[in-house]
Amino acid sequence: MSDEHKHSGNQSEEAMKARLEALGSALERQKDQKIGSSEALEATQKTGRAMSLGFRVLSEFVAGIIVGAVMGWQIDEWLGTKPVLLIIMTMFGTIAGFWNVYRIAAAPTGAQARGDKRSGS
Amino acid sequence: MATGNAIDPIHQFIVAPLANIRIGGIDASFTNASLFMVVVLLAVTFLMIVGTAQKSIVPGRLQSAAEMAYEFVASTVRGTTGTEGMKFFPLVFSLFMFVLFSNLIGLLPYTFTVTSQIVVTFALAGLVILTVILYGLARHGTHFLHLFVPSGVAPALLPFIVLIEVISFVSRPISLSVRLFANMLAGHITLKVFGAFVALLLSAGGWAVISPLPLVGIVALTAFELLVAFLQAYVFAILTCVYLNDALHPGH
Repeated sequence: MSDEHKHSGNQSEEAMKARLEALGSALERQKDQKIGSSEALEATQKTGRAMSLGFRVLSEFVAGIIVGAVMGWQIDEWLGTKPVLLIIMTMFGTIAGFWNVYRIAAAPTGAQARGDKRSGS
Repeated sequence: MATGNAIDPIHQFIVAPLANIRIGGIDASFTNASLFMVVVLLAVTFLMIVGTAQKSIVPGRLQSAAEMAYEFVASTVRGTTGTEGMKFFPLVFSLFMFVLFSNLIGLLPYTFTVTSQIVVTFALAGLVILTVILYGLARHGTHFLHLFVPSGVAPALLPFIVLIEVISFVSRPISLSVRLFANMLAGHITLKVFGAFVALLLSAGGWAVISPLPLVGIVALTAFELLVAFLQAYVFAILTCVYLNDALHPGH
């Protein structure tokens, strides 16, 4: 009787092994599929991130120029020096716009680096 | 109504009063914009209150959405401003959820996109910049002004650098608000225009054969707009953190 018991134990062990193997391969397949789909997802996200970064650069640059121009225009109104300060401040605004873009592009340091790396910008 | 709306892509952005209210000569009417702001607030409140009411160890859908939102914003704030910046977490979280829900709810047909109004986005950006200035001045006093005076610059160049830094600082709320507003406006106009293409092609006799093309385009664009809706809310939140970081640690 003990012999029989042992035999059946062996059998169930083998069945268990087969089941484990089947499960393992099914898991592997699942993983492969997941990696495939997440790669496609990552590609879309990369495009979106790149676009949002591009938009960020554009808006920072344009905002610098606009702020400079509006400031110069308003100070001109106050001082009565009609076109002079508008021209000068627009120039400075352009420089500020480039400075904004440089700050996005330059590698940030310290605590900022960790946050920015995650955003991809 | 359908054709009139489909061909006029700007129609969706018109703010129309639903109930006329005047308080002391100021037009304080309850408009469709106000209605959708209320809807957004209710949706966020519903998600956070109902989602966190259960507190089960294995979270349900609502609870995991609420927890994901919290952890996402918390890690953004911690990563950008450090643990010190966590005192601004309520502000950043509210801004992020408001912008995200406005963007997402605006994608549903027949809704109004609150964030496609420059007034709204500029008010949000102004709130951020005012917080930065007031907190910076309260915490660091005049030392906050070192934000505009980088160290190690030749004295002859200093006035120009300060001027550039001031312009750069003033341009922040403008770029912050214009970016969000322009993204939402452009996305919704593109969707409307593609929808108008379908309608126009269908009524153009033989050309109706290619009318499914813009329809496919709308499906792809809607998916893309979903991504933009999320990314813009995220960019708004992370830039808020970057600017608040300046208030916490001025002087680069």
